[in-house]
Amino acid sequence: MNGARSLARATAHALALLLGVTLVSFLLMVHFGPDRTWGLLGKNPSQAQIDEVRADLGYDQPLPAQYVRFLGELVTLDFGLSDKTGESVRQLMARTLPVTLALVLPGFTLGNVLGVLLGMLAAWRRDSVLDRLILGGSVAGMSLSFLVIIIALQILLCTPWGLDLFPARGWRVDSLGSYLWYVTVPTLSLVAVTLGYNTRFFRAVAVGELGRDHIRTARAYGASTGAILFRHVLRNGAVAMLTRVLFSLPLVVVSGSLLLETYFGIPGIGRATFDAITSGDQPVLKAVVSLTAVMFVLVQLFADASYRWVDPRVGRR
Amino acid sequence: MATLRLERPGPGGRAGLVIIMAFALVALAVSTGLYPADAAVATGSGQWEPASGRHWFGTNRLGQDIFARAIVGAATAFKVGMTVTLLSLLLGAFFGVVAGWRPGGWLDALVVWLMGVLDAIPFYLFAAALAFALGGGEAAMYTAMVLTFWTATARLVRAEVMRLRQLDYVASARAIGVAGPLIAVRHLLPNCRHLLLVQAALTFVAAIKTEVILSFLGIGMRDGVSWGLMLSESTQDVLAGHFGNFLAASALMFVLLLGFNLLADALQQPNPDSAKAMVGA
Repeated sequence: MNGARSLARATAHALALLLGVTLVSFLLMVHFGPDRTWGLLGKNPSQAQIDEVRADLGYDQPLPAQYVRFLGELVTLDFGLSDKTGESVRQLMARTLPVTLALVLPGFTLGNVLGVLLGMLAAWRRDSVLDRLILGGSVAGMSLSFLVIIIALQILLCTPWGLDLFPARGWRVDSLGSYLWYVTVPTLSLVAVTLGYNTRFFRAVAVGELGRDHIRTARAYGASTGAILFRHVLRNGAVAMLTRVLFSLPLVVVSGSLLLETYFGIPGIGRATFDAITSGDQPVLKAVVSLTAVMFVLVQLFADASYRWVDPRVGRR
Repeated sequence: MATLRLERPGPGGRAGLVIIMAFALVALAVSTGLYPADAAVATGSGQWEPASGRHWFGTNRLGQDIFARAIVGAATAFKVGMTVTLLSLLLGAFFGVVAGWRPGGWLDALVVWLMGVLDAIPFYLFAAALAFALGGGEAAMYTAMVLTFWTATARLVRAEVMRLRQLDYVASARAIGVAGPLIAVRHLLPNCRHLLLVQAALTFVAAIKTEVILSFLGIGMRDGVSWGLMLSESTQDVLAGHFGNFLAASALMFVLLLGFNLLADALQQPNPDSAKAMVGA
């Protein structure tokens, strides 16, 4: 009963957020964005042609009607055709999204798993030399720009001035071998840029959990290190950790792919977004911005539901 | 009680402060014209000269001294960092106090909703959308950063204000009819200063890092000299074997960001609530 009510409240909250993010996307890109009429017309258009294009774009309608039209596009996932290539935006996303997921998921997963392990190790040996080393390494990692990490790894691993093991650019994947060949350097970059932040966050969670009474009791009863860390610390810290992982997912996928794909010339959604940014391709940009924002809100809603599953105490609060 | 622990910042915090002061002096020298930036950059040398006593990091494609450009970039970094940090903290403190003062009220709900909306749009896309709407340029870059960075500060200030307003002295001030804004200025904000200082250091780091990425993506700095523009330039250089731009810009940037991160760390370390604050965030 109580659980159902709080889930309903979470849904209402998510709906309010959805309204907000779609409104912001709409205002920025449709309302305040550049007028697309002239880009779509040939030279010396007649007034009739101008009116036709403006009607097509919905410019002749009042603002609320245009917003509803935008929401319609969002719900049906039909954003029309790209201004630059003429490809349908839906097709473009279907083509690029799998590439992006294949590119960023290994790095995202590895960055979080290593972060949890290093964080728990540091917390377990709190204030030891090892802990200081891990913390110091995290601070150093947090002080590096993503771009610096990418360029450095490229020099070290992909050029004749380094080891020259991997390709400097491109994405010609047709087998597991070629996938690993192309995905390694982007993955290492993503791990390097997220590991510092992740480790510190997970260490803080683990330190908080390790200070609790039931851990002291478990230790007094002679529970093994593994049992304490994985059974007690990891499970009790799961909600905080899961929140972090889920919330960082859209951000890492979008920001990571934007930079990695632009830099390495990989034909994923990030590269498509970059091209849309530089050429002012409104249909593509509008689709990417609004869909990721909507995804983020849905992930929040999903996170809220999943806490009940991970931690039965949540629903009863 | 959160106190300002600047009197004993520890070796890491001290190192951070020294680094920041050194860079601030350099930035001041550049912006006041004490450091002859134009003359130092335009040296009249040939392109791609190797590192030497005269050109510490060599020269770039146009024969400009790379080290001098990196020094000027430090001033740009301070300009970006200070502008963004100041404005984000002002917005964050204001909305944090306004929201936390009556938790659950309509104003609080509105601010929380606004923060949720702004946090839901991935930052670089928000910046791209703004650049699209405003027609690009530096104004779009600053606007994007300030509009998204204030929410982190506002959330923390809101939580702190919600805690502070329960305390006796704030309740007493309210009971004798002290006006809300006066309580905010006299009691609430001073007690958030530690938190604001940490946020200032972290926001500064975020601003400098973001400038680099946005400039690389073509929606940040347009002209002038910045570490972001130098690094964007270096993406072409390094494939031809010229590392001057990359090494100079990334080394200086790393040291400055390390300084701010060390300071933020030193300020957070003695605070026993920090771990809990992170989990709750």
